[in-house]
Amino acid sequence: MSRSNTNPVSHPLLLLLVLFAHTAMLLLVMLSFGLTVEVLKLSCIVLISDFVGAIILQFVAQEACTVDTVLLLVLGMSTIYQSCFGGLAFAMKHFIFGIAAFLMCQISYVLVRNPYRAEKLKPLWYGCFVVLIGAIFFLTGSRGIWIDLGFITIQPSEFLKPVFVLICASSIRTQLKKSEFHGWHFVPDNLLLLFCTAVIAGLQWYSRDLGSLPTFAAAAGCALLLRFSYLREKISVRLMLVLGAGVVFVAVMAWKLAPSYVQDRLHTDIWSDMSGSGYQQVKALTAIAEGGWFGKGAGNGTLVNVAASRTDIVFSTISEEWGLFTAIMTVVLVLFLPAALLTVPPRSYYHSGLALGVAAMFMVQMTLNIFGSCNLIPFTGVTIPFISQGGSSMLSSGIMAGFLKAAQAPVLTGRTAAQLRKGGGA
Amino acid sequence: MPRIYPQEQQPRVIHVPPLDVSAPRSMRRAGKGTALLLAAFLVALVYLVYVLVTRSAFYMAKSGQTGYGKVTDRKGDVLFDGTKPMSEYEAGHFADVGNLIGDTSGQMSNTVVTKNIELLANYSFLYGKNSGTVTLQTTISHKATRACYNALGKKNGTAVAYNWKTGEMLVCMSKPCVDPALGYDNIESMPSGSLLCKAFSPTVPGSTQKVSTLIAAYEQNGVDAVNAMQFSCSGSWVNATGGKINCHNPYGHGTQSLNEAFANSCNPFFAQLVQSSQLPLSAVIETYTQMGYSVNGQKVAPLTMNGLTIPAASTTLTDSTEFETQWGCLGQGKTLVSPYQLMLWQGAIANASGSAVQPYILASHTDIENRVTQLGTTTRTPQLFTRAAAQGVHDVEVDNAKKHYSGSLGAYTCGVKSGTAQIRMDGKEFENSLLTGFCLDEDCPVAFCVVIEERTGADISNAQFAKVLLDALRSEEITKKPAAQTTPAQGN
Amino acid sequence: MDLTALFERYPYLREALTAFAVIFVDFCALIILVAAGRERRRGDRNWAREGRGYMLAMGTTFFPLGAAEILIGRHPAADIRFDDNEISRFHALLTLSNGQWTIEDIGAQNGVLVNGRRITQPRTLRQNDQIQIGKRRLTVVRGTGKDVTA
Repeated sequence: MSRSNTNPVSHPLLLLLVLFAHTAMLLLVMLSFGLTVEVLKLSCIVLISDFVGAIILQFVAQEACTVDTVLLLVLGMSTIYQSCFGGLAFAMKHFIFGIAAFLMCQISYVLVRNPYRAEKLKPLWYGCFVVLIGAIFFLTGSRGIWIDLGFITIQPSEFLKPVFVLICASSIRTQLKKSEFHGWHFVPDNLLLLFCTAVIAGLQWYSRDLGSLPTFAAAAGCALLLRFSYLREKISVRLMLVLGAGVVFVAVMAWKLAPSYVQDRLHTDIWSDMSGSGYQQVKALTAIAEGGWFGKGAGNGTLVNVAASRTDIVFSTISEEWGLFTAIMTVVLVLFLPAALLTVPPRSYYHSGLALGVAAMFMVQMTLNIFGSCNLIPFTGVTIPFISQGGSSMLSSGIMAGFLKAAQAPVLTGRTAAQLRKGGGA
Repeated sequence: MPRIYPQEQQPRVIHVPPLDVSAPRSMRRAGKGTALLLAAFLVALVYLVYVLVTRSAFYMAKSGQTGYGKVTDRKGDVLFDGTKPMSEYEAGHFADVGNLIGDTSGQMSNTVVTKNIELLANYSFLYGKNSGTVTLQTTISHKATRACYNALGKKNGTAVAYNWKTGEMLVCMSKPCVDPALGYDNIESMPSGSLLCKAFSPTVPGSTQKVSTLIAAYEQNGVDAVNAMQFSCSGSWVNATGGKINCHNPYGHGTQSLNEAFANSCNPFFAQLVQSSQLPLSAVIETYTQMGYSVNGQKVAPLTMNGLTIPAASTTLTDSTEFETQWGCLGQGKTLVSPYQLMLWQGAIANASGSAVQPYILASHTDIENRVTQLGTTTRTPQLFTRAAAQGVHDVEVDNAKKHYSGSLGAYTCGVKSGTAQIRMDGKEFENSLLTGFCLDEDCPVAFCVVIEERTGADISNAQFAKVLLDALRSEEITKKPAAQTTPAQGN
Repeated sequence: MDLTALFERYPYLREALTAFAVIFVDFCALIILVAAGRERRRGDRNWAREGRGYMLAMGTTFFPLGAAEILIGRHPAADIRFDDNEISRFHALLTLSNGQWTIEDIGAQNGVLVNGRRITQPRTLRQNDQIQIGKRRLTVVRGTGKDVTA
């Protein structure tokens, strides 16, 4: 047996391409800063980690590596970006969290690659959900979103995202289990999902962090739509209209009932309050305008002095230094993660749910971040997966990338597929 | 999908197809959902890029991150220069247009520069900032503006004029006026109103208001019926509720026809017209509202011209037998109209259609790459009053000009209405002299309004002032389109 | 190494280089996505191994088993659908686990018969097993691309 047969889905060529892509970016950095020690340090670290990643992917037997390859590409790019903002300083913390995200992807893949087992573990996911909700409720203080452990701060609402996706997904078997209550037939799991969504909404309201609510709402919405469509040939126009009307109604009610601090955010005219509440967005938009299509050059930006330049308005920070074209392309690159699912369809209902949930989470998060910082929708403090700085966000995004990988390379046995092959198949 | 093979009657040999492991439709739903989300996101992203690229000049200009270009008049004379200190121009070069054109100092908000700052930013998304010079050409005639400014002598006042055929704003002069070249160090000692273009500020219209009242009467009764009306004046008149309306002629005008009363600007005549049963107050309110007045505090959106905002005219009308209401219909008391709006109505009368051509002040924009975009387009306002009423007032005004202004405006085919506004301000009483009207000559199709503040007998008359305005405009050959400047003219 | 002078001499050099690098990065991503298409074929092969290469045959009609859960019934959303009155809307569920296909009766009125016997609990399927659902008879076969005598 040749090597490529025992490990069919390793693409040395692809990993070489990743290496080339990073080299191209590092050359640009070199053009901006000259051949300094810091540049060499950054280049070495990025390229060596690419190389190590490639070797790991070569020797670890697995069925899909699209997600891993895109992840390597994105994480390296993100490290380069974060190291160059406003001057060269290697973003060690970001880099370490990048590695952690990559590892998390592998761990969560192993956890959920068997859809039956992943769904059987649902009580555990619900347990995690309760624990995280409790942590948010009791530990983050009434008006904050962080747990400060002294040496590190954890944002439990970030970890709620992958757990919620695990809760959102459901198999056909679960959907066929109907309970009856006074002549009313219902699927208990669906009710539970609605309940969890309500809990999150309530909690977000309580902790005054409504920013990530649309993310959860989108995941829940996609999950429910998918669950309903399990038992339907197609979603009828009427149902779509009813659902659409429902969404509009909820949005309008939320708008009307929103507390004043949310209303303020929704109504802010940033150009009339350029030094106050509109400060960040004004700076972000100006930075994009100053950057133009191809940017001022790595390290030449000034937006880095504005709060949240590495997280909430990171799109503008990249735009300023690398250009709008680069920023858009980077966003598109992150989209390749969920897009890989279009070519490799999932093989089980539970994995379908996971994949759609992650796609919804990623896309809504990016929408909120990018369009919020560009003042097209209200500005909320959410992150772009893998690009924004922030450990909690990196790790949870890594976990969710693992779900995507699971959907592409499901394992339906106690043994891995490779072991099955060695056993001669069936 | 199941694979179907041609059915045979009694198959003896079945061809088992090669293994097909394509995922069933139910597994493709997640993919469809993802594709839908992706498509929506990408469409939104394209929209985002469009918004960012088209609005980037605004972002740069608003946050003061870029230099600014020039504003020129219709002949290329510089009215604002962001590329070098304006003090380098000859002294007083901007002294007559400062409060209209404005600057980037942030001292004035309702100016051509501040309202169109994104057009003035020396910036393009592709080429970055300050890689060329942007020029914003206006339709203003600096020469005519200067002539009006100088004609006022020591007096303050306003002159506003536009081409009622094309909509080009020609003169928009307001004195006192700030000189941006001198800066704002002495802002405390500047005469009040220096930072404001008074052409856009509502003021007491005086008898020019009678045009509006006459339009109301025409719309209610028809032109011929109103022209046949006669009322007498004996120097003053006591209305139904005991209020006394004085005429400026203490000996009275006797019994007059409408044309005579209009020319005499006879207050008792128009007060009786307002009180008469033939002109119910509801009809007056309806006409005024249609013309754009805010009657009795009703909310009316301000007028706009290339981003400049002009507060709507306002008046209070409660009871047509009462002094206050009659006084309001005569253009005194609580009635306020901006010279700009008076001019606009004259535009609708000049073309005898009741709908004016919408004025505009921006002619063209030359961007950083020397690409010229024409900005001015001729559009019309909604119907402000009926065509018949417009024709009626047109004839009365032309008749008035022919009979009473041939001495001063004889060189022009005009229609005019004069007015004297009685103003009590800061414990001081004075009168402003107004003249509003239009010129029908082919080479000077202008609707205008001039105001001379605190005019006394020795000062320039409103008609002489209007003549200065028309003379200057005629010599500027305003019927020629402003030529776009590819190489912006220098100031000195 | 001073590149500032170089950039000043050629004003659009940096822009061109940036554009090149970014286009290259996304070109790589595109290739990765194309590779995902190749991965799909590998996934199919892998699936064939996991699913033992089984298909369901009904006369000359063959149904692929391309997912871990295959719903059989009268319902329009079923993966294998028979519009017969004797067949319940949700009739049977085929499941792949541990390299074994099992069939399960999910509340069918007329039951599921495997090799002539009505099943009461999930039953593992082997090659050539006969499944009877309503009037329909399905045979578990292996996709081979060869002819067999009926």
